[in-house]
Amino acid sequence: MATKIAASNLSSGSLLLTLSVPPPQGRLWPADADAAVPYWVYTDPEVYAEEMAKIWYGPHWLFVGLECEIPEVGDWKTTTLGERPVIMIRSAENEISVVENRCAHKGVKFCQARFGHAQELICPYHQWSYALNGDLQGVPFRRGVKRQGGMPADFDLTQNGLAKLRVEEANGLVWATFSQETPTFRDYLGEKFWKHYTRVYDGRKLEVLGYNRQHIPANWKQMQENIKDPYHAGLLHVFFATFGLFRADQKSAVDIDEDGRHGILISRKGEQKATEDTADIRNFLGDLVLEDPRVMDVVAEFPGEDTVGMITIFPSVILQQQVNSLTTRQIVPKGPAGFDFHWTHWCYANDTPEMRLRRTRQANLFGPAGFVSADDGEVLEMTQQGATPSPDAHMILQMGGRVIESTDHQVTETAVRGMYRYWRKVMGL
Amino acid sequence: MDGLAAITRDGLRDFFDDYYATLDEVRLHDWPEFFIQDCLYRVIPRENFEAGYTLCTIQAESRGMLRDRVMGLTRTQMYAPRYYRRFPTAPRLIAEADGVAQVRHNLLLVQTLIDKPSEIVLSAVCHDRVVIDEGRLRFAERIVVFDSEMLPNSLVYPA
Repeated sequence: MATKIAASNLSSGSLLLTLSVPPPQGRLWPADADAAVPYWVYTDPEVYAEEMAKIWYGPHWLFVGLECEIPEVGDWKTTTLGERPVIMIRSAENEISVVENRCAHKGVKFCQARFGHAQELICPYHQWSYALNGDLQGVPFRRGVKRQGGMPADFDLTQNGLAKLRVEEANGLVWATFSQETPTFRDYLGEKFWKHYTRVYDGRKLEVLGYNRQHIPANWKQMQENIKDPYHAGLLHVFFATFGLFRADQKSAVDIDEDGRHGILISRKGEQKATEDTADIRNFLGDLVLEDPRVMDVVAEFPGEDTVGMITIFPSVILQQQVNSLTTRQIVPKGPAGFDFHWTHWCYANDTPEMRLRRTRQANLFGPAGFVSADDGEVLEMTQQGATPSPDAHMILQMGGRVIESTDHQVTETAVRGMYRYWRKVMGL
Repeated sequence: MDGLAAITRDGLRDFFDDYYATLDEVRLHDWPEFFIQDCLYRVIPRENFEAGYTLCTIQAESRGMLRDRVMGLTRTQMYAPRYYRRFPTAPRLIAEADGVAQVRHNLLLVQTLIDKPSEIVLSAVCHDRVVIDEGRLRFAERIVVFDSEMLPNSLVYPA
């Protein structure tokens, strides 16, 4: 299914090539293949359906939750992977199961709460019951009543359990995949990203600080792009730029994995001072002063001098370490034009009360009302509005050139290009 | 100092009317003045509140932090233009002791964006503690606990 895209005539951005496997409805990919992405990737329902099959239900690990959310055997949490509802449940002392929240009998999404505790899983419709690992163990009137009715003699409980996903726990986070083809989670990250991952997820026990949930009316890939795009961070986010949390003139880096699917933006906090580069930042506000600066009371807690590590794990989650604010931001697609965004703010279980308070204060920068993140939700919605009526127009991804490689600066869209190259490969486009 | 000597129902009613009028009219710079210097202001999802989690969608621990919020809204943040209108129920006096009135009421926060139908941003209950400070009523504490499970993108202006 792999399609060769001729990379000829890159200078002619408007030239369109016909692909040997044509995109849906005969749509075309721009000739400038790596540095131009058509807007139908955000809008086309056929493309979206293919993404569900090939990406979300394909050979990729999806973020499910935190191990500490279900401490006791029988504790469960519901969530959604791709569009499918699932239950993450501690099925034994040292075992976490992830099963589809869909009764094998009639398809009922039988767990409706976010969290709960159970001895067994029971569907309310006909009371089919399942063990905590999803095995079917009871079907009422299976043998009939007074020799009437009942299931056929060859009905096999072992063949009719809940659909089970492959599960791995890695230093406090739970991951699942629908595919048997997916490599181990560590291989899925690759050694370089395993190192980035374990810088924060280092094996210490985690604890939830709380949740934020918002629906962003934009294609799910836009959220991945947003955290693979350091170019915007010091421009859109005046708060970041002004207070030196993330700005183009600071020491920084972009790292991507071999496939281009995962990325990390690395930065070091600077000062609130004008430099020759802040002249390019129209909104740099040198005169702004926080009246109560406790929200910016930052302490160094990780090895090295980097203060920001924003990891995008394709396709489902962003792992945020922005100074002392630690979150998982789960992406749940809701059709081509929207996604639900579930933020789990966490701390280390052995954090002092002061550290917990610090993380809670810094959370004011993030989430649906965040000094910084609210900008992103807004601009993603505005992007979807601009892209939707013009699916055959395309974005310009030339910042930092056309190469796809790790860089030691922020003035690049290399990680976005990397994601779309991988996306085209998986999608066969 | 001149001003209020006691907290009365009429006084509370006027206080909340002023508060919501100030916000609906987007007089943001007047908003922090409704709070004492060492106030606590929280807008928090119900699930966090009930689980005892401390994480808030908005948190301010002083009038200064509220002023910083206003600075963010007016000078650093980017958002599409919109109207917010608040529909509170009448304040219900839960308890009054040691000069603190505990008041509770429901709140609907409705937003209208350009070219869009109006929609509910928050369906919430407000847990307020109101005191007399510098001769006027002020919030010592305001905790807005919202049921809303999935916010329609951003929460821009305060509740």
